[in-house]
Amino acid sequence: MWRVTFRGLLAKKFRLVLTSIAIILGVAFMAGTFVLTDTLGSVFDNLFANTTKGVDAVVRSREPFKASNQQGGGEQTRPPVPASLVDTVSDVDGVELAQGNLLGYALVTGTDGEAIINQAPTFGLPWFPPKQSVNQSNEIIKGRQPRAPDEVALDLKTFEDGKFKIGDEAKISFLTVEPRKFTVVGTFLFGGKKDALAGATLAAFVPTTAQEVMNRVDQWDLIEVKAADGVSETQLRDRLRQMLRDEGLSKDYESITGAELAKEQSDEIQQNLSFFNTFLLVFALIALFVGAFVIYNTFSITVAQRIRELGLLRALGASGRQVVGSVVLEAFVVGAFSSVVGIILGVLIVTPLQGLLSAFGIDLPGGSLQIEPRTIIVSFLVGTGVTLIAALAPARRSARIPPIAALRDQAFDSGAVRRRYIWGTVFLVVGVVALLLGLFGNMSGGQSAGLVGISALTVFIGVAMLSPLLAPPAARVLTWPATRSQRITGILARENSQRNPRRTASAAAALMIGLTLVTAIAIMSQSFKTTFRSSIEDQTTADFILSPTGFAPFSPEAAQAVRDELPGSTVVEYRFGTVQFQGDSIGVLGASPDFSKMTDVNLQPGARMGQFADGGVLVYKDAAKDRGLKIGDELDVNFPTGPGTLTVQGFFDDKKAMPSDSDWIVSTADWGGFPDPQDFYVGVIKPDGVSTKEAAHVVNKVADRFGGIEADNKAGFIDRQIAQFDQILGLVYVLLLLAVIIALVGIVNTLALSVYERTREIGLMRAVGMSRKQLRRMIRNEALVTATFGSLLGLAIGLFFGVMIVQSFSSDGITLAIPVPQIIVFLILAGLAGLAAGVLPARRAARLDVLDAITTE
Amino acid sequence: MTATAPVPTSTTAAARAVDVTKVYGSGDTVVNALAGVSVEFRSGQYAAIMGPSGSGKSTLLHCLAGLDRVTSGHVFLGDDEISAMSEKQLTLVRRDKIGFVFQSYNLVPTLTGMENINLPLALAGRKADPEWLAQIIETVHLADRVEHRPNELSGGQQQRVAVARALVSKPDVIFADEPTGNLDSKSGAEILGFMRKAVTDLGQTIVMVTHDPVAAAYADRVVFLADGIICGDISEPTVDSVIANMRSLGD
Repeated sequence: MWRVTFRGLLAKKFRLVLTSIAIILGVAFMAGTFVLTDTLGSVFDNLFANTTKGVDAVVRSREPFKASNQQGGGEQTRPPVPASLVDTVSDVDGVELAQGNLLGYALVTGTDGEAIINQAPTFGLPWFPPKQSVNQSNEIIKGRQPRAPDEVALDLKTFEDGKFKIGDEAKISFLTVEPRKFTVVGTFLFGGKKDALAGATLAAFVPTTAQEVMNRVDQWDLIEVKAADGVSETQLRDRLRQMLRDEGLSKDYESITGAELAKEQSDEIQQNLSFFNTFLLVFALIALFVGAFVIYNTFSITVAQRIRELGLLRALGASGRQVVGSVVLEAFVVGAFSSVVGIILGVLIVTPLQGLLSAFGIDLPGGSLQIEPRTIIVSFLVGTGVTLIAALAPARRSARIPPIAALRDQAFDSGAVRRRYIWGTVFLVVGVVALLLGLFGNMSGGQSAGLVGISALTVFIGVAMLSPLLAPPAARVLTWPATRSQRITGILARENSQRNPRRTASAAAALMIGLTLVTAIAIMSQSFKTTFRSSIEDQTTADFILSPTGFAPFSPEAAQAVRDELPGSTVVEYRFGTVQFQGDSIGVLGASPDFSKMTDVNLQPGARMGQFADGGVLVYKDAAKDRGLKIGDELDVNFPTGPGTLTVQGFFDDKKAMPSDSDWIVSTADWGGFPDPQDFYVGVIKPDGVSTKEAAHVVNKVADRFGGIEADNKAGFIDRQIAQFDQILGLVYVLLLLAVIIALVGIVNTLALSVYERTREIGLMRAVGMSRKQLRRMIRNEALVTATFGSLLGLAIGLFFGVMIVQSFSSDGITLAIPVPQIIVFLILAGLAGLAAGVLPARRAARLDVLDAITTE
Repeated sequence: MTATAPVPTSTTAAARAVDVTKVYGSGDTVVNALAGVSVEFRSGQYAAIMGPSGSGKSTLLHCLAGLDRVTSGHVFLGDDEISAMSEKQLTLVRRDKIGFVFQSYNLVPTLTGMENINLPLALAGRKADPEWLAQIIETVHLADRVEHRPNELSGGQQQRVAVARALVSKPDVIFADEPTGNLDSKSGAEILGFMRKAVTDLGQTIVMVTHDPVAAAYADRVVFLADGIICGDISEPTVDSVIANMRSLGD
């Protein structure tokens, strides 16, 4: 049986290649994703190993609480340590040197006046002379170290990006002080390499200046310690811990080794990367799922086509199991071959993939490609497994082929049609129930998303099983124009599409998946965009809005500057933070005390806005109900810097116009509980008596002066936010394109097999006068029918899912918007792609020699 | 070589082969399927081509019908040299001027009998002359079966549809390749009778390849082929005269 299988495979190389593509692409994407994220992981490992170079141990504040399950919150940071602690640490036995360090916000403006910012943090740090510095990550390579408060050294990449020369002046912006000018006195390398920073920028100041401009007067982020000779990292750490206990400081401070710190920082990044990894893997799995449909269909067709051959094997004494075995073996060979090719291709696509992400605004640092054994093993197992599972049903069907089939002309029908429809209905019902449960049941976001995903999967399988019922009527309707305009080729295409509804339906189902996702996403995003636009238009009275250029927040000094330069204006700052209450992390929105003049959050009657500024909190109505909060309640909460209280001063019931979906709003006037004030958005209502033009001028100048800030009027802000959203949306569409391409490969494959099967018939039609052109048109029409049928199914399911998902957010005020023109464009594109998929099989059919075709067995 | 000498210009011949050779393969495996055949078939005549297996009779038919290219020589359909035509021109000739009846797989399974009959005209974007259509359907006794799909028709009925299809475009010649080869003798006799009628009553021209002396006896003329050359040509054949000729070939 082995030999029969391999002979069969080799005889059909074209089919093998086409079938393999369906799996190769999915596996390649999966392997590529693994390699990409592993590579990024190693880049960051390297980065953090470098940041702690020379550091044997650190002393730092304890994290007041672990920020978990954040919702709309800001990044968690530890409180600073007092500079005075450095001396205490220095006195510990075994400490060679102890030195404070910090990493703050410092945005450098280049000589061309543009802020130097690359989707990565902009850091400022203190510079100690090498002998006094524990940390050895940085090394001056040109010029000298900063010695005076108005001097700065920049990392080489920033130095070059800003086109600086030694002695140039550089404007640098900070969070808590106005931008300042510094003289660039030197440039340094971090970790011995120019691009080891993953896009971050570094500016080094003399230590006291660093503390002053980065909100750490007499404070450090942490204390770095170098061990004396003969003292190991862990010994040092343990002695530091002992000291902290002895001094009664261990409640607030802790010590870990340099290696532990590097690992901790790296793990944190890895965790962020794992979201990214999951994001990409979802698309790889979608592609593989579509590939499974293609495999299923291909094997179904080839088993049907080989019915005489397999029947002959049975007649010659092969058992049903042996026949199944031969089909399964073929699937294994196809799966294994595709997986291996896919893995190799996956490694090759990492660089283009990174280029693609970068084109959509996601810039990732490059590094030498990391190919982990896990990448190869998982990709291989998944690719081969998907192929085997998809081929299982056709293989089992082959066992039911009776020996007599060898002698029969007619295709043998397994007759399990009714069972198929029953199961299809079951899948469909289960899928819809899962969707409703996931959307409207009471569960967490993650569970809900998971259930919706499972529901989609189930619905796809259900519809795919039921779709043969729909294929014939759909073929009749869809070929109607062709039967009018082209008559006989249209009629033939119609009849051919109906000839084997299951085949047409399976080929179409693969495309359906892509179209469903695209349609649902289009509906959701359009609804969110429309809601966003209308809520900003209707619920915000800001004339101007300042927002960050990248994702990094900016200095509150900018808002202050607008207040100073536009007296009488209303300036509202928005920032994010996290607090802990009753054991839960709660994302809070920080807003200026008078924010309600600008942003309508539907404050409920009874709110005491007068008392909001000073330690007040406004709570989302539903959240307040859940926790039983009343106005006037004093809440014991943990701020990042320690425990404190917030007093409930009111409830609000509309989050749409808020920059985050936080349940709590606290006042920026009382932001002491959070380490660093950083604004994400600033809204400005111009004072009466100042023209819009004048006000715009002032706001723009402030944005320019601070750098890294975009100033827009309301319409401009909406457009900018939507453009950012559209960029990510575009990436999602491009990634989904892969699934669509695989589905098209499936259509090509199905048609090519069907052309092969119909060789004789095609020869006959050519003999009685069908021209090559007519033949090609007929096959293309079949492709068009299959593609359009799949697209329409996808459209219908996508509409259903999209609408249901949006409905489930209706309590958040999201209103349904269906982008009809966009969906029509998708449909037309899918149709065109279907026509394109028909080109190759059509050409193959047209090339058939008439005589060979009619004399073929 | 008993065929009349070819006349280079217009004749009443519906189909004509002039010094046709057909060589398959190359080197050691070369096969001379046709080794210089000149023959012409008159309009309005029912001709049969006979010969043992491998005699080249099917090859000759394929070459005459423009389904196969000749290695050398010329093939004419009426006044048109089809051996010099492009694939596109050949398609049009097959559609408009030639009718085919094959041994099996004659019909497109997705089309009804009527649609199959109309297929050549539909491909040409034309409609059948209703009177003619009625006449041929009547001739082949199909009136009550034409709306059925091929898989609902018996083998004999399928071949009758094929004959009707071959007739529908009033072709210059109908080429039939063992049209009764797959049928029982009763159905076979029916088909042969219809083809005879098509020539006698409807004035059509048929060239038929067969190895069955009974079938050949329906024709006006039988051309015998062996080893790629013509080695016999009789008019008004009977089963006996055909068998006698066959025997002489075997000697």
